[in-house]
Amino acid sequence: MRKVTLVSLGGNTYQLEDEAHEAVAAYLDRASRALAANPDRAEILADLEQAIADKCDTFLGKHKDVVCAAEALQIIREMGSVQGSGEEGAATADAGTSGADSTLGRARRRRLMRLPEEGMMGGVCSGIAAYFDIDVVWVRLAFVLLVFVTGVWLVAWLVMLIVMPAARTPEQIASARGEALSAREVMEMAKAKSADLGKAAASGLRDAKRNLRETFGSRG
Amino acid sequence: MGFSEKFVAVRKGLLEFAVLRAIAGEELYVADLLKRLAGTEFATQEGTLYPLLSRLRRESLVDYAWQESEAGPPRKYYRLTKSGQQALSELQGYWNHLTRTLDRIGN
Repeated sequence: MRKVTLVSLGGNTYQLEDEAHEAVAAYLDRASRALAANPDRAEILADLEQAIADKCDTFLGKHKDVVCAAEALQIIREMGSVQGSGEEGAATADAGTSGADSTLGRARRRRLMRLPEEGMMGGVCSGIAAYFDIDVVWVRLAFVLLVFVTGVWLVAWLVMLIVMPAARTPEQIASARGEALSAREVMEMAKAKSADLGKAAASGLRDAKRNLRETFGSRG
Repeated sequence: MGFSEKFVAVRKGLLEFAVLRAIAGEELYVADLLKRLAGTEFATQEGTLYPLLSRLRRESLVDYAWQESEAGPPRKYYRLTKSGQQALSELQGYWNHLTRTLDRIGN
């Protein structure tokens, strides 16, 4: 049983599985950032939305009214990433002065998120390491040493465990690492993890609670 | 392989030419245009085509008109403007000039 999100694409209602919705929303979000300097941004985004709607239609029929995650990833792959103002690449040699660089930088902006699949407990240290692009071992070591200095750091870790959202989908994990994920990579990761996808629906809060219990269990 | 990679920039630069040529023949909407380019060296995707078309429209080379469709919502059909036709014939002339130059260099 999967949760479904209702969305409006080009003026019609579509039902997307939650993961499909996240993938499409992330695609449009990346497009929106890539087009930040484009005067026709709103119109292009509307066109892209309509194109996604048309592609959704090809997957829907009388006895199928939900777009699933794999279909959404295929749609995104077919659409291809949206190029910003530097679309003519070869024509403009002075790419350094154009808006292309800054939009690229923005598109790759990182999000501070936990990486539960890579972490020893809640993925807090992994998330911080990914954010600053350093080896997770140093972050863990620093935390352990700081906790010995003063217990305040333990509280800080607990707060981060609750406050930092968990990166679970390939899109989220990529944004936690600051990677611009290509649709092909999304597909590959989705294939590799299709078994885990159901599990990913577990809420972050429940996860945080479990981590809290484990922490106190092991210490008291 | 290496041959195809060397010409990535050339194909990219010529995409605009290919698009102008395609819609010079007849009014097209984006899905038609993509189909026409698919299977050629200029195969492309919505993510590339929409920003390109919007720029061509800003440069007044193309324009679109909404047309009702039986399959769904109205579609934008793109066509060349007067200055688009002129730009296309200039591009065509320049392209012919380039290929002639290449031919001459070889002989």
